[in-house]
Amino acid sequence: MDLFFEQLINGVALGSLYALFGLGFGIVFATLGILNAAQGTYASWAAIVALAAADQYKLPFIPALLTGVVAAGVIALLVDQVAFQPLRRRGKDMLGALITSIACWIILDSLAGTATGHNSLSFPRGTYPSTMYHLGTIPLPVMQIITIAAMVAVTVGLHVLIRHSRFGAAMRAVGWDQTAASLGGVNPRYVVIITAFIAGSTSGLAGVLGGITTHNVSFMLGEGLMLKGFAAVVVGGYDDVRGTALAGVALGVLEVMTSQYLSSGLRDGITYALLLGFLLLRPRGLFGSLTYSRA
Amino acid sequence: MNAMQGILDFWAAYRSTLAFAIVNSFLALSTYAVLSAGILSFATVTYAAFGGFLGARLVLATGFDPMLTLPAAALAGAVLSYLVALIFLRLESHWMALASLALILITRVIVINIPVVTGGVNGMSVPLPVSLELLAVLIALAALVFWRLSVSWYGIAAQSVREDTAVASSLGIAPRKIQTIAFVISGAVGGLGGMLLAGALQFISPDTYFVNIAFTMIAGVVLGGSYHWTGVIIGAAVFTALPVIAQAIIPEFQDVANGIVLLLIMIFLPRGLVDPLSIRLRKNFQIPVARAIEDPSISKPGVVK
Amino acid sequence: MGNSVRLGPWVFATLAAFAFQTTPALAQGLTPGEYKIGFITENTGPIAQAGQSFWAGAQLAVEDIKSSKYIGASSIVLEPKESGSDAARSIQAMNQFIADRSVIATACCILSPVAGSLKPVVLAAKVPLVIYGATAAGLPQPPWIYSMTILPGPKDTATALLVSDAIKPKTAAYILAADNDAFKGRMAPTQKALEAKGIATAGVVSVLTKDTDFTAAATQAMGLKPDVVLVYATQQAAAGAISALRDRGFTKTIIGNDVLGPEAIYKKMGATVVGIPFPVGFSDTIGVSAQGKSFVNAYKAKFNVSPDSYSAQGYQMVWFVAQGLKSISGTPTRESLSAALEKLEKFDHNVYGGEFMKDGQAQTTGTIVVNWSADGKLVPWTAPK
Repeated sequence: MDLFFEQLINGVALGSLYALFGLGFGIVFATLGILNAAQGTYASWAAIVALAAADQYKLPFIPALLTGVVAAGVIALLVDQVAFQPLRRRGKDMLGALITSIACWIILDSLAGTATGHNSLSFPRGTYPSTMYHLGTIPLPVMQIITIAAMVAVTVGLHVLIRHSRFGAAMRAVGWDQTAASLGGVNPRYVVIITAFIAGSTSGLAGVLGGITTHNVSFMLGEGLMLKGFAAVVVGGYDDVRGTALAGVALGVLEVMTSQYLSSGLRDGITYALLLGFLLLRPRGLFGSLTYSRA
Repeated sequence: MNAMQGILDFWAAYRSTLAFAIVNSFLALSTYAVLSAGILSFATVTYAAFGGFLGARLVLATGFDPMLTLPAAALAGAVLSYLVALIFLRLESHWMALASLALILITRVIVINIPVVTGGVNGMSVPLPVSLELLAVLIALAALVFWRLSVSWYGIAAQSVREDTAVASSLGIAPRKIQTIAFVISGAVGGLGGMLLAGALQFISPDTYFVNIAFTMIAGVVLGGSYHWTGVIIGAAVFTALPVIAQAIIPEFQDVANGIVLLLIMIFLPRGLVDPLSIRLRKNFQIPVARAIEDPSISKPGVVK
Repeated sequence: MGNSVRLGPWVFATLAAFAFQTTPALAQGLTPGEYKIGFITENTGPIAQAGQSFWAGAQLAVEDIKSSKYIGASSIVLEPKESGSDAARSIQAMNQFIADRSVIATACCILSPVAGSLKPVVLAAKVPLVIYGATAAGLPQPPWIYSMTILPGPKDTATALLVSDAIKPKTAAYILAADNDAFKGRMAPTQKALEAKGIATAGVVSVLTKDTDFTAAATQAMGLKPDVVLVYATQQAAAGAISALRDRGFTKTIIGNDVLGPEAIYKKMGATVVGIPFPVGFSDTIGVSAQGKSFVNAYKAKFNVSPDSYSAQGYQMVWFVAQGLKSISGTPTRESLSAALEKLEKFDHNVYGGEFMKDGQAQTTGTIVVNWSADGKLVPWTAPK
C-alpha cells in the first residue's frame, strides 16, 4: 500500500510538470490561435539559462530559477514577434504560423544542442534544495513538493488572471478576434506580447523544475514535455487552465501507475490512445467550452 | 578525363539526394491532396508507415519483385485513409489537425509493439533497391495524375470546398464526398511514398515515420506553395536539398540554417515559391505583386475575401 | 584532348615512382600517399558523449601514426560524415563513401542496429568496414567487416560475480532498457549466473532509453526491496536511474556498466556516481602498459580530458587499418586491404597491454572493475566495509 502512495505522489509531481508546460502551450493555442511547435524549446532554454546562472554565476536557487523563467519568456516574446507577428498582418492562418513555429523549433533546438555541447547536463548538488522529508515511510524530496506547489500556484494565478481580471478579458477578446477586440478598446499588440511572455515563462518554469528533478538539461527535455503537455491541453480543454492542470496531473499519475502495475511498454500507448479518444469523442476536453467557428 | 570522373563521382554521391527529393515529393503530394480540399492533416505519415512496413515485410516474406508490391502499398494506404476519413471527417478542422498528430503518435506505439511485422524498436533492414529510373517514372506518373485531377471536375470542386465549404455545398457539391475522395488519393500516394522511402533508406524503424517527417513534408508543401501541385514537388525538392547544401557549406550550423531559410521564405513568400495567383498577377499587371494582392480594387480570381 | 601536353607530367610521375621504390625507407613496399578512412561520426544525437570520445581517439591515432612514421611517409586521413546515430543518415553517408574512390576503408557505429543495417550495404559494395563501438556480438564478417569493440557482455557478468562475492546479497533487482536488445542480451547471462549462485531475482524494472524521468522506475525498484540493483541501460538512462535511486535514499550497492566510464559522467553526476562499480575495457590509471601511458598523456594534452574505453577503441581502430596498410606492397586497394586485415592476429601497437583479433573481433583478456572516487579518478573497486 505504501508503494501505491509513493507512486501516486511521484505521478502527481511528474504530472505537475506536464500541467505547467501544458498551461503555457494552451495559452498560446487559446489566445493566439497558434499550434506552437517551438514551445518545448522554451522549456529547454529556461533550464539551460538557469543552469548557467546557478553553475557559472553562482546564483542561489530562487534567483537562478527566476532567471531561467524570465529568459524563456523573453525567447517566447522574440519568437512571437519574429515568426508570428509578420503573418498576423496577412490574416488568420494556422498553417503559416505552424510552419514558422517549426522553423523556430529547429533553430532553437539546434542552438540548445550547441549550448550544451550535445550532452545532457545536470544541476550540481547544492544549487537546489535537496532536503528529504518523510511522510511516514515514504520519502518525499522537497523538489517534488516545490513542483506541485508551483503548479498549483501558477494555475490559480492564471485562472484569476484570465477569468477575473481586465487583462484576462482583454486576452480572451484578442483570442476571439483581434479586430473586434481593438474596436472594444484593447491594444492587441500589447496584449499579444504580454501573453506570449506569460506563456513562455510558464513553460519555462516547467523546464527548470524538470531539468533539476530529472538531472537532464538538454534539448531533449523540451521535446519530452511537449508531447505530454499537448495531450494535457487536449484532454483538459484548451481554454480552461484548471482543466489543463488537472489533465496534466492525471496523465502523470496514469503514466506512473501503468509502468508500475501494467508494463512500461504500454505507458505511452495509453496516453496517446486517451488523447485520440478525447479528440474524436470530446474535442473540447473535460472542461473546455463549446466554441463556434465561422463557416 | 578527370572532370568527367569528377562529375560521375559527384553524381554517384548525390544521386541519393535526388532519390530522397522524389520520395519526399510523394509524401508532400499526399499532404497536398487533402490540403487542396481544405483539410490540414498529418495522417500521411501513418499511411506511409502502413505502406512502408507492409510493403517491406511483404517483399522480404514472399520474395516478390518490389515492382509488384508497390501497388499493394498504395492500396493499403488507400484503404487505411478511407477508414481514417470515416472517423475524422466529423471533426472540425482544428481538431482534425490535432487528431492526425495524435494518430502519428499512436502509430509509432503500434509499430514498436508488433515486432513480427515491423522489427519492433530496432527497425528492419529493407534490402530492396529502388532505382532512380523507377522513381523518375513514378513521379512523372504522379504529376500526370495530379495535373489531370486539377483540371477535372473533382479539382474544381475541391478548390471550391477549400475556399468556402458552405458556399460549395450551396452550389451542389457534397463537401464530405469530395473530402473523402481527397483522403483516398492522399492515402494511396502516401502508402506508395512510404514504401519508396523504405527502399531509399534501406532501413526503417519506428522513428522513420514520425513527427520529423511530418513537419518536413508540411514545410515542403507550404514552402513550395500549397495552391498548386508543381509547387509541392519543388518545395519537397528544395527542402530535401537544403540540409545537404547546408552540410556541405556550414556543417556546424546546418540545422540553424535550414530553420532560418524556412522562416524567411514563410515570412516573405507566405503563399510559397510557386503561387499561381502571383504568377497570374505578374503576367497581367505591371505593379509589384505584393501590392496587387493587398489592393482590393484589383479583382483576383480564386480568392474569396 | 591535349594528350601530348600531359605526357610530361606522366613521365615525371613514373620516374618519381621508380625513385621512391628504390628508397630503402619504404622497403615494406607501401606506396606513399594519403589514405582515406571514411568515418561515420556520432558527435550529435543521443549518444554524443560516447561518439565524441571515439572521434577524439581516432584523430589522435592519425597524429601518432604520422609522427612515429609507422607507415613510413604515408599518412591516414579521416573524412568524417555525421550521422547523429541515425541509421538512414549512416547509410547515406556510407553510400557517399563508397562512391568516393579515394576511400579505402570505412568506420562506423555505436548502435548495434545501425551497424546491422550497414552490413549488407558494405558487403555488396566490397569496402572494408571497421566497427568502433557497437556492442552486439556476432557483427564481424571477415574479410569485409571487423569490430574493435571490446565486448562488454562477458565483463558485465564477471563484474557482477566479483561484486556479489564481496557483498553477498540475497536478492537482486535489475533496471533494464527494454527497448535496447544489446542490453537485454547482456543482462540475461548475468542474471542466470547470479541466480545460479542463489541470488534471487526480485524483479526487472523496464525503462526506455529515451526516458527523462526515472523517479517512478527508482521507486518501483526500491519497492522490490533488493539487496543490490544492477543497471543495464544506455548512458543517459543509466545516469538518470542511478541518480533517481540515490535521490530517493537507496544506499545499498548499485552495479553499473561500462557507459559510466567517460569523465563527462563524473562531471555530470558528481558524488552520486562515486563508489558504483563497473567494468572498463580500458583504464587510464590502472594496470596501464607503456603504450597505454603515452596514449593517455597525448590524449590529455590534446583534449584536456582523460581518455576512456571509447577513446581507446577509436584509437585502436585507426591503428588496425594502419597495420593492415603496412603489410601491403604497392598501392592499396579495398580488396588488398581487406585481405591484409583478415590476416591480422596480434596488434603491433595497442593501449590495452595485449589485444588480439579473433574472427574479426578485437579482444582483450581480463576484467578491470573500477569505480569513481570522490576526487574524480577511476580506482579499483573494493567492497565497502
